[in-house]
Amino acid sequence: MTIKTEPIFNDSFTGEPPAKRAVGYIQGKREKGKHVAGIYCGYAPVELLYAMDIVPAVLCAFANATIEEAESVLPANLCPLIKSSYGFISKDTCPFYSFSEAVIGETTCDGKKKMFELISEKKPMHVMDLPQLPDEAEALNNWTVMITKLQSFLEKTFDVKATTEDIRKAITENNKKNDLVTKILEFGALPSPVIGWTEMHDVIFLATPARGNDIYTTLEGIIAKLEDRVKQGYVHGAKGSPRILVTGCPTAGDAAKVFKIIEETGGVIVAIDSCVGLKPFAEKVEEGTADPIRSIAERYLKIPCACMTPNNGRIAELDKLIDKYKPDAVIDIVLQACHGYNIESYKTGEHVMKKRNLPFLKVVTDYSQGDTGQIKTRIEALLESI
Amino acid sequence: MRHAGIDIGSRTVKLAVVENGSVIELKKTINSHNPLVTCQEILADVRFDTLTATGYGRHLLKNYLNCNVVSEIKAFAVGAKKISCECRTVLDIGGQDTKAISLDESGRLNRFEMNDKCAAGTGRFLEIMAAALGYRFEDFASEALSAGKAESINNTCTVFAESEVISLVTQGIPRNEISLGIHKSIAQRAVNLLKRVSVEREILFAGGVALNRCMIELIEKELGCRITIPEDPQMVGAIGCAFLNE
Repeated sequence: MTIKTEPIFNDSFTGEPPAKRAVGYIQGKREKGKHVAGIYCGYAPVELLYAMDIVPAVLCAFANATIEEAESVLPANLCPLIKSSYGFISKDTCPFYSFSEAVIGETTCDGKKKMFELISEKKPMHVMDLPQLPDEAEALNNWTVMITKLQSFLEKTFDVKATTEDIRKAITENNKKNDLVTKILEFGALPSPVIGWTEMHDVIFLATPARGNDIYTTLEGIIAKLEDRVKQGYVHGAKGSPRILVTGCPTAGDAAKVFKIIEETGGVIVAIDSCVGLKPFAEKVEEGTADPIRSIAERYLKIPCACMTPNNGRIAELDKLIDKYKPDAVIDIVLQACHGYNIESYKTGEHVMKKRNLPFLKVVTDYSQGDTGQIKTRIEALLESI
Repeated sequence: MRHAGIDIGSRTVKLAVVENGSVIELKKTINSHNPLVTCQEILADVRFDTLTATGYGRHLLKNYLNCNVVSEIKAFAVGAKKISCECRTVLDIGGQDTKAISLDESGRLNRFEMNDKCAAGTGRFLEIMAAALGYRFEDFASEALSAGKAESINNTCTVFAESEVISLVTQGIPRNEISLGIHKSIAQRAVNLLKRVSVEREILFAGGVALNRCMIELIEKELGCRITIPEDPQMVGAIGCAFLNE
């Protein structure tokens, strides 16, 4: 018997791609005269933006359609996320970019750094030098300085100010939002998960730009609906479907073909360990400290991106997620030419297979649909091996 | 009960029928632009009670005949174990895929690796290289074996490798030396893929490329051990499919 459930968002964006709802949110803010800054990455310290009443807009990066345009400037053998991002900007087809009065970037990889130079010719662009040896004593100091410099950039560009108290308040507000989002995503951890990846994306795409005070009620309403689903005995996917934890590069839009194949093949995605997933909402900024900027820096340096070395946090976090979400297999998604995640996949795979005794599959892909046949074969074989 | 297995590959379609634990029928044919028609032709006068499909066309056939489907990896794992019960590692080089599969003692799938979407190092690659050198495909392996030394080929991408081969030809390098170099580059790639999963013996070499004598010799040399070649290496997947319902 199938149980009918109400979608977690029941609004005019239901059934639309998840970014549409974020467009609606930011458009509303713009109409009220709020400033908007474009961001690309989980390292962007959004608490600081909220403290200055600036709306962070996550810029478009997941469509195959814009890559052709980008390749007239960028090399073809570059990560699709960078090519797609740049294509959106050169075609000016990303609404988030149009809303943005400035763009904030971090030096996570060479491709991004060089793309930022190109963006800087079009819009005010602020690049933060992200320390990549996070265990070194200097890393925290340096990153704190970078966030302070971002504050000066935003103050100058937008003619706004934030007091220490404003930042503290924004931290508390954002921590609460992150807690609620994490709680929603944890409905995937249930023995019979009641949330699927598309609904996870719906939540993540809205909660990344939106500030806590604007969406608490929405998030709490979603939690209530999910609790109802549990009571009704609803299960996302078929009962007893193989549980898949996906890890690796951010995956959305056209790259979500991998997620679709996982579901078509009979698997259910219980956790998304990436920057369009659990990562941006996982750690909390310490509240009530004397130096809130330093506390923000501390939290962001804990994000276990493959650009870090050593990136021990990745395995530690993965272990926690495996314990909580109890997957039957782990799939590591690597975007083509993302050397960090590609190389790190070896260590990740060895850990998952040898220490956690779970089947592991690495999928290297881009945004085209040309490899769906090959990916399907691999995922079918992985599920057969469970 | 007669159980049929069909492997709808990118270049060929293979069919196996088993009854009471023995293979009673084997057929293969070249695939076409219309794999469904090719499947209908190969199945036309075959009697069976169950049908399981693998290979790239498996879902196409499922939509048409509502047969069972299974991934090539599982099909080759089962087929290899049926052909040789000591098998622990399978290397399959087909028309557009290369797979390395490791099995545990009981024949269960341990690990597998596949080439990415690019057809580098597959049967198709060999066909294109043979054409670039003006060889008939069936002569390619023996010509390569006739070379005293191998010209090194650095590109594994089919398109780049073709340019590289053309540039070597224009430099006056004997084409059998280039051929040996091409075979060596594929053998090296295949062995690297194997090393990622397992090189535990017995190693069974399947797929159309396992018909290539030069490739067998080079892979054995690279691994430092003998590898097992089934009577018809192209049939392993179809046989695996057929046995899945036994």
